[in-house]
Amino acid sequence: MNGVNDIIPVTMEQFLPAVIQFKMDGWRLVQICASRLPGQYELSYSFSNAYDLWTLRLTVEEETSVSSITQIYPCAFLQENEVSELFGVKIENIQQDYKHKLYRIDRDAPFKEKG
Amino acid sequence: MSKMAKQSIIPFGPQHPVLPEPVHLDLVLEDETVVEAVPSIGFVHRGLEKLVETKDFKEYVYIAERVCGICSFGHGMGYCQCVENIMGVETPPRANYLRTIWMEMSRIHSHLLWLGLLADAMGFESLFMQSWRLREKVLDLFDMTTGGRVIFSVNCIGGVLKDMDIGILSVIQRTLDDMEKELRPIADTFLQDYTVGSRLRGLGILRPEQAVQAGAVGPMLRASGVAYDARGLGYAAYGDLEFEPVCAKEGDSYARCQVRIQEIYQSFSLIHQAIEKIPQGPIQAAAKGNPNGEYFMRIEQPRGEAVYYVKGNGTKFLDRFRLRTPTTSNIPPMLDLLKGCQLADVPLLILTIDPCISCTER
Amino acid sequence: MAKTKFWPFASTALKNVFSRPATTGYPFQPAQYPERMRGRVEIVIEECIGCGLCARSCPPGAIAVNRAAGTWSINRFDCVQCGNCTNVCPKKCLSMVPRYTEPGREKKTETFTKPLPPGGASPKGSPAAGATKGTGPASASAPGPVPAGAKPVNDASQCVYCTLCAKKCPQEAIQVERASKTWKLDGEKCIGCGLCAASCPKKCLKMQ
Repeated sequence: MNGVNDIIPVTMEQFLPAVIQFKMDGWRLVQICASRLPGQYELSYSFSNAYDLWTLRLTVEEETSVSSITQIYPCAFLQENEVSELFGVKIENIQQDYKHKLYRIDRDAPFKEKG
Repeated sequence: MSKMAKQSIIPFGPQHPVLPEPVHLDLVLEDETVVEAVPSIGFVHRGLEKLVETKDFKEYVYIAERVCGICSFGHGMGYCQCVENIMGVETPPRANYLRTIWMEMSRIHSHLLWLGLLADAMGFESLFMQSWRLREKVLDLFDMTTGGRVIFSVNCIGGVLKDMDIGILSVIQRTLDDMEKELRPIADTFLQDYTVGSRLRGLGILRPEQAVQAGAVGPMLRASGVAYDARGLGYAAYGDLEFEPVCAKEGDSYARCQVRIQEIYQSFSLIHQAIEKIPQGPIQAAAKGNPNGEYFMRIEQPRGEAVYYVKGNGTKFLDRFRLRTPTTSNIPPMLDLLKGCQLADVPLLILTIDPCISCTER
Repeated sequence: MAKTKFWPFASTALKNVFSRPATTGYPFQPAQYPERMRGRVEIVIEECIGCGLCARSCPPGAIAVNRAAGTWSINRFDCVQCGNCTNVCPKKCLSMVPRYTEPGREKKTETFTKPLPPGGASPKGSPAAGATKGTGPASASAPGPVPAGAKPVNDASQCVYCTLCAKKCPQEAIQVERASKTWKLDGEKCIGCGLCAASCPKKCLKMQ
């Protein structure tokens, strides 16, 4: 069996409604991942239902804040904290915000710069 | 002042006799009942994901498999399959079967280890030793086939590095038959013993919809009755083998134990099937060039579904490697379970998700 | 609901009282190592050509190769026994053998030095002049110690396009086409090991 494995680019306005739609349809949050682009971040939110995997791809400027999805999926708090701590992505209103104290690391946002 | 009981906070971990994993929980208690649990991890963050930017992607296989000491084979395989998918490398069928055999042996190894830890958490020391004695046989098989007991270093981009000849395969078959016989009394003890049952039955019930919403994966999800097993995607040789996801209905700790025990038997059957069907042929395909593109790969680790993400830029250094380990996903449902349980049950409940914190902190 | 039994463990427990322990008396009985065991890295230093591929592909960076001095050293306490060096070695002079590294009081680096070639024999990899006494008589065509960062340069007037250099290159950095008489070097892939220059039958490759 080969499930769907697609990446869908979304804009900031489409993003939260799409997440709510997944929640209403009973999808499971699989993972949240950030990666760097020059001056930007690329955020991937994956959702799964049975063997299908859909990934929402959100591209944000470095200074733009992203709204947290913990109000919709409370289980996202660990991964959102990780993204904001390792990459320095600004995520607003995380329920259970660790304020950059999730990992005991010396540097702020160590994954932000290459190398 | 209302009738609200006085709350107290008890720290749990990171050093705890029952759980040698660096996880710390602040347990908010009312009398003996837990009302909230606040996890804190991050004692051993290693930044292995970052290393991919400075290591050759072919060399990184050896680092990927060092993420965890128990599901190490799966991490190496997941990373390799992800890169192979991007590069369009077709792995030879024999390599796929060999990967499946090793992967299932890892599952037997991991579940037996977990059973031992569970018995240890209940104070059933002799059962713990029985489980680990049996586990030793799988470790010996690993030692014989790969040359390592914990870290195998047999995966490479495009296939595997070591082959198993007919002699080795028959030794595996014989050992597994012996193990199946020896597992029976251990499994009976876990599933039918009065003492074990009284500790596990009805403890930490996770309803199916709750499990899906909290993002539970692996045996945790299946014990709640959701039949999702990433092996059904048919990666490696799983598409050619016959199996059904092992499920239970109750969703309590007993069901999670039952699912894991049945998965050991399922792994025995999968390895036997794979050995019967294994084709002859090469074990490695040439991987030319560098990966350029991205891919999300899901594989079923012993602890649950793991997600690998690789983003390549056409050079030998990858842009990003991300690994979402099963435990990352299983911590939120674990916190749900802890609410309302007794303090004495906390270690057991944490254990039933089969946590691997070191893997979570890559 | 599954059935509950009393004493399901009793027979196993009784059997264990009268059976022999599952463990062996290790320090008194020698440990038995399986054939494929990746215990430690061993080198046949005479075969080593000092290409440095092992050092470059060592994930923890435990290996150091000094081509000029003809030494190969390993910090056994950094080594993670992944076996990558043995896989990449073009001469297959590295191997993983069963037997663990002994514990030590401090982390030491073990160094192997390539013995000096007997007079007149293949002088490749001989130490730089003056470093040690009695260097082999380096002929003009021999690659000798390759200066760091040197890349092979082809003298097209002498080249016969035999493709031997391309076959010998451990990094597949050289492309030779006999039909169109082209010789191409991928500078990024080239590690300057000097294998191509050493194998060239016409000695038209020079490391510069």
